[in-house]
Amino acid sequence: MRFADFTPFDLVLLAQGLGVSLALFLTTTVAGLLLGLGFAVVHHFRFPFVNPLIVAVTEALKNSPVLVQLFLVFFGIPALMQIRMTPASAAFITLSLNTAAFAFVIIRAGIESIDRDQIDAAEAFGLRRIQILRRVIGPQALAFSIGPIVGILVNQLQVTSLISVIGVFDLTKIGNILNLRTLEPFIVWAVIGSIYYVCAKILAHSGARLERRIRRSYAWGEV
Amino acid sequence: MIRIKDLVKTFDDSTVLDGVTLDVNAGEIVTVLGASGSGKSTLIRCINGLERPSGGTITVDGNDVTTKAGLAASRRISATVFQLFNLYPHMTALGNITLAPVEVLGKSKAEAEEQARALLAKVGLAGHADKYPQQLSGGQRQRVGICRALAMQPRYILLDEVTSALDPETTGEVLDILQKLATEATTMVFVTHEVAFARSISTRIVFMEAGKLLVDMPTEEFFAENGGLAVPRIRQFLSQIRKD
Ligand SMILES: Nc1ncnc2c1ncn2[C@@H]1O[C@H](COP(=O)(O)OP(=O)(O)OP(=O)(O)O)[C@@H](O)[C@H]1O
Ligand SMILES: [Mg+2]
Repeated sequence: MRFADFTPFDLVLLAQGLGVSLALFLTTTVAGLLLGLGFAVVHHFRFPFVNPLIVAVTEALKNSPVLVQLFLVFFGIPALMQIRMTPASAAFITLSLNTAAFAFVIIRAGIESIDRDQIDAAEAFGLRRIQILRRVIGPQALAFSIGPIVGILVNQLQVTSLISVIGVFDLTKIGNILNLRTLEPFIVWAVIGSIYYVCAKILAHSGARLERRIRRSYAWGEV
Repeated sequence: MIRIKDLVKTFDDSTVLDGVTLDVNAGEIVTVLGASGSGKSTLIRCINGLERPSGGTITVDGNDVTTKAGLAASRRISATVFQLFNLYPHMTALGNITLAPVEVLGKSKAEAEEQARALLAKVGLAGHADKYPQQLSGGQRQRVGICRALAMQPRYILLDEVTSALDPETTGEVLDILQKLATEATTMVFVTHEVAFARSISTRIVFMEAGKLLVDMPTEEFFAENGGLAVPRIRQFLSQIRKD
């Protein structure tokens, strides 16, 4: 057996890389969705000056390469502010903001898609704006948003692979290491790709199930 | 009492309500007639606070609807039934009816539901409490809309063409219910094109024309040859309606 051959220990490496990728994906998903939801709620209440700011920031995040954003956070911000930034925190900050930007756009569209008539009714019956958001707009906007959000999350899962370039030991980075050692790029990258694929499929599948559940629990069927 | 004085409403540069003065006393049923675009819906929407008056005053039992506190108070004692029902599609009939009593009046869910079921039974929808709006016919939806208003136990009910989205058959179902309400001394402001029905239930009729009240008369006088019918515009309006 050559030093370069695949060993059973490589499976452990792969599992560790996958763990890092999934952990980053899950934490940035939670942070990003909460932040995006926060942006959408703030935007809905039209606080002065804040709305243009939210729109500008999210537009910038949506329309520039994630890799560039990652470099900006990892290299740019520490240089500007004289602080230390670990690869993991840079990855967390960048991906969370990125998910937040997409979530904001989707949730905002969901909120704005709710028919004015119902909101009129709720207002005329004396519900306060926060009650209308919680009881009338929110549940419907959620049902509307869940599909597109699962869609962007599947994409964000793939995007996590970019963090390997700043030295986070995620699944792609492990692929890189195995590739350099074994010189079997076809096998390594096919395996790595398949792992991402399986994860994405599981995510999309559970997302679709969740969406069906939510729609069924409101039971107003296909809208 | 609903007091409307010199009400003006402009959108951009078009004047939709042009100095409307109208009092609605407790126990009255006031029908608002008028051609399409004369400002009837806008009048209702100013009373329930969905539009902000550009001038004049509206008070509901003394609560000025142009102030935040006044509007909130007025909305606890008046309720609206909408032309297109405006039900919440993600809630059952029961949910639609109990939302405001729970959130606004602070009733317990159990109490609100019990009351909602009684109302549904009263309008012939006892078995439909758990259906969603899209599972109901137009007439049934509007009956839920009426229950939603009644659940607020309002002193005033505002109804804006509540049957005009319905076919003639289901219109009857809804009018029957309104007839019942009328005999229960509910105060109503009733915008409609159902002239014959208006004649049978209302105590007063006002006729709107281009944002102004052309006449405001007791029902009998309105339909008398030397009363409303003596006004050429009203005669023309009524004869057109009969032709339809
Ligand atoms: N939000 C708005 N912005 C601009 N113009 C409006 C608005 N709402 C109503 N209008 C205008 O005000 C006028 C009166 O409208 P309104 O809906 O009150 O009439 P209406 O008497 O209820 O008519 P209909 O019998 O067709 O329901 C119309 O010319 C309408 O185009
Ligand atoms: Mg109208």
